[in-house]
This record gives sequence, structure tokens and C-alpha cells, in this order.
Amino acid sequence: METTLLLNTSMLLTLTIILTPALLLPVSKTPPNYTTIITRTVKTAFLISLVPMTLFMFSGTESITSYWEWKFTTNFKIPLSFKMDQYSTTFFPIALFVTWSILQFATWYMASEPHITKFFFYLLTFLVAMLMLTIANNMFLLFIGWEGVGMMSFLLISWWQGRAEANTAALQAVLYNRIGDIGLILSMAWLASTMNTWEMQQSLLPTQTPTLPLLGLILAAAGKSAQFGLHPWLPAAMEGPTPVSALLHSSTMVVAGIFLLIRIHPLLANNPTALTLCLCLGALSTLFAATCALTQNDIKKIIAFSTSSQLGLMMVTIGLNLPQLAFLHISTHAFFKAMLFLCSGAIIHSLNGEQDIRKMGGLQKMLPTTTSCLTIGNLALMGTPFLAGFYSKDLIIESLNTSYLNTWALLLTLLATSFTATYSLRMALLVQTGFPRTPTNSPTNENNPMITNPITRLALGSILAGLLITSYITPTKTLPMTMPTITKTAAIIVTTLGITLALELSTMTHILTHPKQNPHLNFSSSLGYFNPLAHRSSTTNLLNSGQKIASHLIDLSWYKKMGPEGLADLQLMATKTSTSLHTGLIKTYLGSFALSILLILSTQT
Amino acid sequence: MSLTHLSFYSAFALSSLGLAFHRTHLISALLCLESMMLSMYIALSIWPIENQAPSFTLMPMLMLTFSACEAGTGLAMLVASTRTHGSDHLHNLNLLQC
Repeated sequence: METTLLLNTSMLLTLTIILTPALLLPVSKTPPNYTTIITRTVKTAFLISLVPMTLFMFSGTESITSYWEWKFTTNFKIPLSFKMDQYSTTFFPIALFVTWSILQFATWYMASEPHITKFFFYLLTFLVAMLMLTIANNMFLLFIGWEGVGMMSFLLISWWQGRAEANTAALQAVLYNRIGDIGLILSMAWLASTMNTWEMQQSLLPTQTPTLPLLGLILAAAGKSAQFGLHPWLPAAMEGPTPVSALLHSSTMVVAGIFLLIRIHPLLANNPTALTLCLCLGALSTLFAATCALTQNDIKKIIAFSTSSQLGLMMVTIGLNLPQLAFLHISTHAFFKAMLFLCSGAIIHSLNGEQDIRKMGGLQKMLPTTTSCLTIGNLALMGTPFLAGFYSKDLIIESLNTSYLNTWALLLTLLATSFTATYSLRMALLVQTGFPRTPTNSPTNENNPMITNPITRLALGSILAGLLITSYITPTKTLPMTMPTITKTAAIIVTTLGITLALELSTMTHILTHPKQNPHLNFSSSLGYFNPLAHRSSTTNLLNSGQKIASHLIDLSWYKKMGPEGLADLQLMATKTSTSLHTGLIKTYLGSFALSILLILSTQT
Repeated sequence: MSLTHLSFYSAFALSSLGLAFHRTHLISALLCLESMMLSMYIALSIWPIENQAPSFTLMPMLMLTFSACEAGTGLAMLVASTRTHGSDHLHNLNLLQC
């Protein structure tokens, strides 16, 4: 059987299946139940997308198909080409599985929403854009997907538009994404002018790639994947509904930046400056986000900072020139992070909208399935041996320890790993254990299969995904297998240290009184003072310079003093002096007559 | 310059300054005009005597007749302006329309 034909057909069938709910819109008069239709569509698409993935896993088939070509100019053509390689064939089933679970959860979570159909269509549009980004073979289609996910992120974060914080957060998201887009367009322009193409395969240079376009691509990834400096939008994006946070801001959209870097990794491989930049930026982001997560009290914000920290870890992996490992981390991270968000959504609804972990407690007896899956997710996040997170995270730490790199990056990443354990355990302890601090009439209920089925499916995925993916996909770079024992167990040791620290701290809060104001606590809980500094200073500078130029310089000094009005002032001065002569009296004229006579007489004789 | 020349020039100059810088009344301007005429008459009379040319003795008489006409015209204008403007004060005479 022609495996490439089957591969291409099944991938395109997946994409077509996802687009079908849009066809039902104008057709029927009585509006059908779009939520179940869309959920079932995504489930079908997931099952179909398993076909190309198994084809790839068992025969290693990859293909690039290109259709209709847009002849932009005579020598620059942009074909509609799709690349079905290891990354896209593996990402499709994972993204569709997670989306299916999230949509099923959202039918329960958003059940009281009047515009639930629009919500589901927004999620579907987002999914289409994300899949297009994944499967794109040239920068043009990637850019379409990139902008599409940014747009849908904006629309979905501000879903509850009446809330001012939601609008601010959506605006922040779109602005920070735009700053990243500048870098992407810069790189696209360089690529178009140097290589005369936007195809990914044709953009390899045998020599070292110049640093400027790579900086542009790293800026794009930093904007989309919330690295340090362009990170404030991700915690703010938690203003959106929980299914949005689960789909966009944990599994799929935020990995688009890292995915871009994975796609162009041959360009990065030759340039050590760009690699070091990725490494240090990723290490800084992961530590900063982990530090901020230590003192957060909103359950969704803790998970958001955890996402930001893991994205930093993925950036570190890119900096180590290991794109496949980064992709592995993307895949495993999608499962347990989406599950964590869904569990938090179930908890929030059960407690009638309570998101503060200081007001939760003892939920293990009230919501057993949800909290068990929460525990599984936290353990997977921490990198517990042989759960999903272990396969990617432990490998990353091992590769960090055995490669020749910047020591700071290594130290920061190890510290961030221990902090991950700390905040995860803090969240788990405060939410699940202890005496309940919730009001007594909370409508805690998880009897609905719409809640439990997605969460348990994702829990199954978080346990098995790592094992399955590493078993069936051969790595292209062999990782070092022999290393000293302490290096091999470095990740586990720091995680255990983080856990003991968290346990100590939790016993401390019951026994000792907490000191009132502490600079470290202030730094962590106000997110490193980054938000007010960056947001206020840039706008103040811009508006100040605008006022200086437009008002002070142009209006006041040039127009009033030097230009037209200054000229008028000069004339006015001269006119005022000479008006006293123009009175029309004879005396003046005779006086001037006498003066002129005197002058003539004095010059003549 | 001789003493007579100095006296003629200074008399003429003083009279013309008086014509230019009179204070209030138009008639004082006319008076200065007369004194200018007087100094010129005396100068014109002394000139042929000094140069021993008796045929130029007629000149002062001619000047006198013309100055008499001119004085008469000036006075007529003074009377006319007094009739229209009410007095002969100079600040009444203004060329400006507004």
C-alpha cells in the first residue's frame, strides 16, 4: 500500500473533518446542538489522526505535499504546502485528544453560558489555526496560523467582556504577541530577501547563519511563549474561562513559539550566540516564573506560572540544540497541564467560583476523582520517575548536566526544578489536605461523567504518554548514557529537596508566626515588580517624548516664537513704534521737512 | 563767513525752524513764513550793493510782491480753516480719515 498516499490523505481528512461544523451553520433552520456536534467532530478527527501517527511510527514515512501556488512575483512563489513529518504527525493526535477532552469538559463548565455556540466555534477556529501552524511547510502558512492563534487568544481571553480586568489582560496578550510578531516579520523579510523563498527546507545555510534573523525568531518565540521580558500576559490571561486557559495557555498556543524554533532548528544549530541566548533566556524565564509561583494564592495563576516555567525549560532545551527533546516535553506537558487546568476548573465550579487556595482545603474527601487526578498531574509535573513528565524533564536535566554550557543556566534550571516541586506540593497540600476552609454550603459535585471522563482520560495520558512516545520515536541525537550517579539523579535530588522544603514550610505555617514584610516575599508575590515598571515606564516615556515633540517643540517654540507668530511679533513691534508718526498732523510733516533740510545742510557745507 | 552772511543764514534758519516747530496756532506759522520772507528781502537788497551791480536792485521788489500774494493766500486759508474747524489750533488739522 502506498504509505505516503495514505499518510497525506488521512492528515488532510483530519483537517477537513474539523472544518465541517462550519458548513452546518447556514444549512439548518432549527439550530442543532452545536456543542455535542463539535465535540464529536473533534473526537472523530482525533481517531482519524491516529492513522498517520501510527504510519509514521511504524514505517517512518514523512511527506511534504504542495498544492496551488501563489505566484507572488515571477521568481518568488508561495505554495500551499503541508509538511507531515515527525513533529506534525505526533502533535496532531495529542492536540486533538486534549482538545476533545477540553470540549467535553466545556460542555459542563460553560453550560450556563448563553453564547456557548459562539464559544465553541471560537475554540474550533483556534484549533484550525493551531493545526495549520503545525503542519505548515512555509513561513507564510505558519504566519497565518500564528496570527490566527493570537487573534483567537485575544477573543477568548476577553470572553467575559464586561470585566475590565479581562479586557486589560486581552490587550496585554495581543500587545506582547505583537512585539514578538515584529521579530517574526523581520526574519521572514530576511529569509525572503536572502533565500528568495519561504519554504523551510530551502532555508538552510552551510555556513553560520547571521545572528539578526535568528534574534528575530527568538523574539517571536519569546513573545508567543512568554519568556522573561515578554511574560506578563500569560498570568493575566487567566481571566479567560478555564477551558480557554487549558487549551490555549497550557498546551497549544504557548508552545507555538517553541514549535517555530523547533522547525527552524537547523538555522540555529550553527550559531552559538543564538543558542546561548536561548539557553540563558530560557533559564531566566523558568526561574523567574517558578519564583513568582511560590507565593501565588490563585490556583489558576499557580498553574499559569508553572506553564511559564516549563516553557522556559523548553527554551533551554532548544538552547542545548535538542529540538526533539523539546518536542517531547511539549507533548508530555500538554497532557498533565491541561489536566491540571481541568481539575482546577472542576474545583472552582464546585466551590461556586472560589479560586483562592487559602479558602480551599480538605477537598480530597469531597472530590476524590478530581483531586486524585490533580495529584497525578502534580507528580507528573514534578518529574516523578516513570510518569509522563519524567521522560522529558529528566532527560533535559541530564543533558544539561552533561553538556558544555553556561553554568548560570544550569544552576538556574536546577533551582527552578526544585521550586517546581515546592509550589506544586504547596498547592496540593493547601487544596486537598487539612481542614476545609470553604463555606459549608458549597455545591461540590463530580457525579457528572462530563467532568470525570475528560479528566481521567488525560490522567491516563499523563501516565502513559511519555512511555509511548519515547518507545516509538527514535531520537536523532543520542543522549549520553553514562554519567556519574549524582548527575544521573540530579533532577530527583533537587525535586526531593524542594518537596522537603515545602513540607517544612507547611509545618512552619501551622506552628510559627509568619514574619510580616519580607523583601523576598514581596518580590515573589508582586511578580518581580516587572508589571508596573515595564508597563508604566514605556508608556510614560512615549507620551512624554510625544508631548515634547508635538506640543513643546512644534507648537510652542517653532510656531509661537520663531516661525509665523514670531515674525508677526517682530512686525508688531516695529509697527507700534512707527504708528506714533502716522497721526496726520501737519506738525509731524513739517518736523520731518525741517529734519531733512538740516541733514542736507549739514552734509553740503 | 562774514557777519552779514551769518546773520542772514541764522535768521532764515531760525524762522524756518519756527515754521516747523510752532506750538499751537497756525498764525504763528504764517508769521514765521513772513520773517523768512523778511530775511530774504534784506539779503536780496544787500547783495547788489555789495557786488556793485545796480541792475539787480529790482529783485527784492519782485520777491516782495509775490510774498504779499502768498501772505494774503495764507491768511485767506487761515480764515477758511477757522470757519470749518472752529479755531486755528493745529491739532484740528488732520489728514487721516478716521
